[in-house]
Amino acid sequence: MAEELLEKARDVFEGQIDFEGQRLAEYLTQGILTLVGAVAFLYGYFTQDIYMTLWIGLAGTALTFVAVVPPWPFFNKHPLQWLPPQNGYSGINIEVDRKKTS
Amino acid sequence: MHTTVVRVQNVFGFFTSVAFAIAALIAVSVVFAPQSPSASMELRNIQVVKGRPHYYSTKREEYANIRFDLDTDLSTLFNWNTKQVFLYIKAIYPSHLPSEPPTEAILWDAIIPATSAPWHHNTYIHPSTKAPKKVAKSKPQPPPSYRATAPGDAPGVLHLRNQKPKYQISDPTGKIAERGNATLELGWNIQPWVGALVWANYVDLGRWSGVKGGRSETFEFPELKGAVKKEELGTMKGGEGNRGKPA
Repeated sequence: MAEELLEKARDVFEGQIDFEGQRLAEYLTQGILTLVGAVAFLYGYFTQDIYMTLWIGLAGTALTFVAVVPPWPFFNKHPLQWLPPQNGYSGINIEVDRKKTS
Repeated sequence: MHTTVVRVQNVFGFFTSVAFAIAALIAVSVVFAPQSPSASMELRNIQVVKGRPHYYSTKREEYANIRFDLDTDLSTLFNWNTKQVFLYIKAIYPSHLPSEPPTEAILWDAIIPATSAPWHHNTYIHPSTKAPKKVAKSKPQPPPSYRATAPGDAPGVLHLRNQKPKYQISDPTGKIAERGNATLELGWNIQPWVGALVWANYVDLGRWSGVKGGRSETFEFPELKGAVKKEELGTMKGGEGNRGKPA
């Protein structure tokens, strides 16, 4: 019981996502942050208000954290298709101490 | 990007890169903001008296107390990246040896904050431009309005009449009376939110033109006076006089 709980807690903490999700996460990180940086600078420059640059930049960074860090379902849409479990040695007979192993 | 911790690291890492790039852009953007400061300064009065550097000193030195008029329009120095401007007035006069650079001594300074800067008790308080009302001594004085410019003026616009100095100046030799060929010169340092401190006051750099005016006419330090009224030797502390005291 306790081990199961621990296992679940570990899964939640690790928040693993699949390979396609990782590609998407990387793309989102760079895209959102770059866009937010550009918007923050331009808005601040044209309103001549450096505080707006600061706050837009920080808000955009917070948004990126929210969008990328948790293992959202859309990061897990392409789960890896593992091959079915096989017995790799089924066709070969190996004798160990005169006994067949399978 | 496999686990949460790695994603946090990645996002934060890229955020620092973006923040640095934006900061660099902001620092460079200042170059495109035109500056056209102007100032006119006039000497009002000088007194030279004997004094000592501190109460227990046995050394006797000559001190000059210089009063001046100042009209500035430095409002173009305040762009979106200006935090504050440190403004100062130097007295410049030739040293004893012609091979040495001229002597410079600061006699007045002020920290002029931008409107975006939070109020701080070290910032300059512009004296009232209205005629002072006669207030009976028993009445409590009204609190000063903590503004670096007169009401209605943009930051950097100062109008000072017969301004007392903040510092009495002396010379390394201890003798400052009857030194000639002296001028007062306005100088400043722009302190930005992000980027480099700028000391270019008198040179034209791209869209920045040097200050128009800013130097007084040459004058001579007067001879030593024996007895001068105390009021004539007054200095005036700025807002930083409040430092360390409760508000």
